[in-house]
Amino acid sequence: MDISSWDGTISLAEFHVAARALVEKWKRVSSASPPWSWVSCPKQPWVASHEVSVEGYLSLENIILVSIKEEHDELLSFPQKEETSCSDKEESIDIATLSQSDRDEICYYDLHIVYSASYRVPVLYFRVYYSDGEPLEFEDIKKHLPAHSAKTLLDSKWTFITQEEHPYLKRPWYKLHPCGTGEWMKLLFQGDVSLARNGAAIEVYLISWLSFVGQVVGLRIPYEMLNQL
Amino acid sequence: MAGHDSGSILVFAQFQSAVDEGFWHRLSSLKLNKLGIDESPIPITGYYAPCSHPQVSNNLTLLAQSLPSESNEQSSTAATSRGNRNRCPIRGILYNTNTIESFHTLDKKSLLRAEAKKIWDDIHTGRAVEDSALLSRFLLISFADLKKWNFHYWFAFPVLVLDPPATLVDLMPASQYFSLEEAESVSAACNEWRNSSLTADVPFFLVSTDPNSHATVKHLKDWETCQSDGHKLLFGFYDPCHLPHNPGWPLRNYLALICVRWNLKSVRFLCYRESRGFADLGSSLVGEALITVPQGWRDHQSLPNAVGWEHNKGRQVPRSISLAKSMDPTRLAISAADLNLKLMRWRALPSLNLNALSSIKCLLLGAGTLGCQVARMLMAWGVRKITLLDNGRVAMSNPLRQSLYTLDDCLNGGEFKATAAVKSLTRIFPAVDAEGVVMAIPMPGHPVSSQEEDSVLEDCRRLHDLIDSHDAVFLLTDTRESRWLPTLLCANTNKITITAALGFDSFLVMRHGAGPFVSSHDFKVEAANASSAVENIAQADKDERQRLGCYFCNDVVAPIDSTANRTLDQQCTVTRPGLAPIASALAVELLVGILHHPQGIYAEGEVANSLTSESSEQPLGVLPHQIRGSLSQFSQMALVGHSSNSCTACCSTVVSEYRERGMEFIIQAINHPTYLEDLTGLTELMRSASSFKLDWDNETDPDEDDYVDI
Repeated sequence: MDISSWDGTISLAEFHVAARALVEKWKRVSSASPPWSWVSCPKQPWVASHEVSVEGYLSLENIILVSIKEEHDELLSFPQKEETSCSDKEESIDIATLSQSDRDEICYYDLHIVYSASYRVPVLYFRVYYSDGEPLEFEDIKKHLPAHSAKTLLDSKWTFITQEEHPYLKRPWYKLHPCGTGEWMKLLFQGDVSLARNGAAIEVYLISWLSFVGQVVGLRIPYEMLNQL
Repeated sequence: MAGHDSGSILVFAQFQSAVDEGFWHRLSSLKLNKLGIDESPIPITGYYAPCSHPQVSNNLTLLAQSLPSESNEQSSTAATSRGNRNRCPIRGILYNTNTIESFHTLDKKSLLRAEAKKIWDDIHTGRAVEDSALLSRFLLISFADLKKWNFHYWFAFPVLVLDPPATLVDLMPASQYFSLEEAESVSAACNEWRNSSLTADVPFFLVSTDPNSHATVKHLKDWETCQSDGHKLLFGFYDPCHLPHNPGWPLRNYLALICVRWNLKSVRFLCYRESRGFADLGSSLVGEALITVPQGWRDHQSLPNAVGWEHNKGRQVPRSISLAKSMDPTRLAISAADLNLKLMRWRALPSLNLNALSSIKCLLLGAGTLGCQVARMLMAWGVRKITLLDNGRVAMSNPLRQSLYTLDDCLNGGEFKATAAVKSLTRIFPAVDAEGVVMAIPMPGHPVSSQEEDSVLEDCRRLHDLIDSHDAVFLLTDTRESRWLPTLLCANTNKITITAALGFDSFLVMRHGAGPFVSSHDFKVEAANASSAVENIAQADKDERQRLGCYFCNDVVAPIDSTANRTLDQQCTVTRPGLAPIASALAVELLVGILHHPQGIYAEGEVANSLTSESSEQPLGVLPHQIRGSLSQFSQMALVGHSSNSCTACCSTVVSEYRERGMEFIIQAINHPTYLEDLTGLTELMRSASSFKLDWDNETDPDEDDYVDI
């Protein structure tokens, strides 16, 4: 691939190739962490049938973030008042049940990598939620990102987080806006001569892309992922 | 406890629930589209997997696909097929109520017993041996408040209570219990079980170890085959709990099954837990429990006690979650609108001041062709506070050109425009703070009788207050004289004022200059130079010409109720339809320009291609004073006009007269239009210039060099 004339974008077919490469390499290199998996979405009946392959996205879910305590309790304070009106004690205390105090407020996050046909680049969609499913506000997410991630997020002119409807799940998710991706992917590849030379450039596209965007959401990419092999 | 002096009571950690947002979305959709008020129980599927993290227990999770799909629709996410090792399916039942009261008054005791009975039946009939996941059957009650997007819910994981409770002989990590060889073999066998799609999601199993330390994992129904001598048998199950000293909840019904079907009193169990996708014998536990089979357990008909309502922070109360942020359409509309503007700021205009736009209060005088378009454009820029003033009703011809109205607004004599406009704006964007004022603007040259005087005075005061309480005023009426009083009031309070006026195929959009009286802290540019002790300097004589003009500054006649010397407004009641949208759009863009200019209302009028370095630095471009456009030429030009000492609306004489005499002055001007001309000396001017035929369009005032005829 001729880097000099490339605009940093990839086709849908190339995205599939890159996705497969990411899944495989990730499984090989980082078996400790949960694997990326491909979620297929059946084509809508009105999509032209000559479209390449099945649509879908890469998914990494239920990653445990950090434990946060105080804020969540405050958020829940208003509905609690209603609950106490439930007067009956349904059960007598069962001695075989462990009484567990507040479990730490564990946060989970889900990451999806979806191909954007209009920008021709992958887009990172993510959401963060408490163990009871309640989603976190973006301001709270920022608070719990590692410091350097927050810095990358705020200072970089390439990163812009917006909340938009997930193209398949039809619910609001946060996403890293894709309009700058082509530009910085081009820069990333231009800066690495070995990438430009090897024909395997497409296969490392997603991995390189993830090494950057992952920082923004605090995802740790194992170093071995980035090695050319 | 009597008679069991060895072990302590076996204490189990409760199952923990986790509901994915998607579940509530799907339930809401089901309720709205299919179920309606039907309250019959809904079969659902929960999912869990063995614990995979040393500090965090695994949960029983509900996802969107936990609910049955809506009739003929194929769910867009692939239905979970069997064999997913991370999603062992567990049968459950959902009772969703229609009101919060019925939610609280559900008979929880009998609901729990009903589910416990199903488990009890499955144990006695042997079904639970065939399909062991039935042992972990669960119950969920809920109330979905689809107006506020709050979901109240409560899980129950029914378990049959052993009375007396089981006691623990010992409990230790599996790695301690097994020999090295055994451990290796058990791990391998478990991993095989977990990797095969036939067994990966079967949560209860048997581990049989032969005398050669070779272990095999089998289905529960193969229990008979594990009875050979020398074979050690462990009852294994996927344990969601991570705690080192307590087994997880599924073990409870498992023990019930074991003691009823196989009549064992001593049970060796394996709490199977994982790490990194593989069996982890360090965190997995092996223990031995002693069971005293209660009387009556032989009897299928007598159901033991059951417990299992999930504790919420240690208390037996339901939980609730608010999903308004991601489900309430109004909130979604607001964040989408904000997104649009933020994108603009991020990609094209970093100095865009979104706070200024969302906090500015705009008053629109006139809710007709211009008013409707200006209101829409303001909303598009993120302006949220809009007040529309108009005393007219929507007429049948209006909806075509006045973009906020539809036919419905014309019926029954027509709604008041101000009211209809507010409704329309709110339908477009629910978060707008729109207000309608039905009122006529008092006009000079339209004399009022003494009976009407009081109400006219009232209207004047009301207008004065409205202008006072807003930051920017748009003059969008269809007569020249109706612009006079607002112009005066705005000049008096130094408000940003924007005028739009239409001819048949030409338009004028302009911003009024600052008022004639400015206190030193308003006049930012010269603040450094002005002496701090001076207040309310009449910048009159020397600086009057420096102020940009208002709509009337170019006039040499006072506004009158006559068809002579017609202005743009009065020439036509019909205009080319394209004009109003163009003029309205320019008017709003002009306002945005003012808000972003460092000098705001005091900014100099700029002309396109100006060589002043300032304009090239402003990110939004030049900030003109006046824009005159012609549709017949498809042309437009930016012009500058300075204020006139004799302006009937904004000159210092008039404004100070108003300040001194207030409403009395206004009434006088209304009833005696020539009064204004006398006051400002226009009468004098006219007398001296009476040889000229003064037609507004062809005026050539030698002082106003900057003026160019269209």
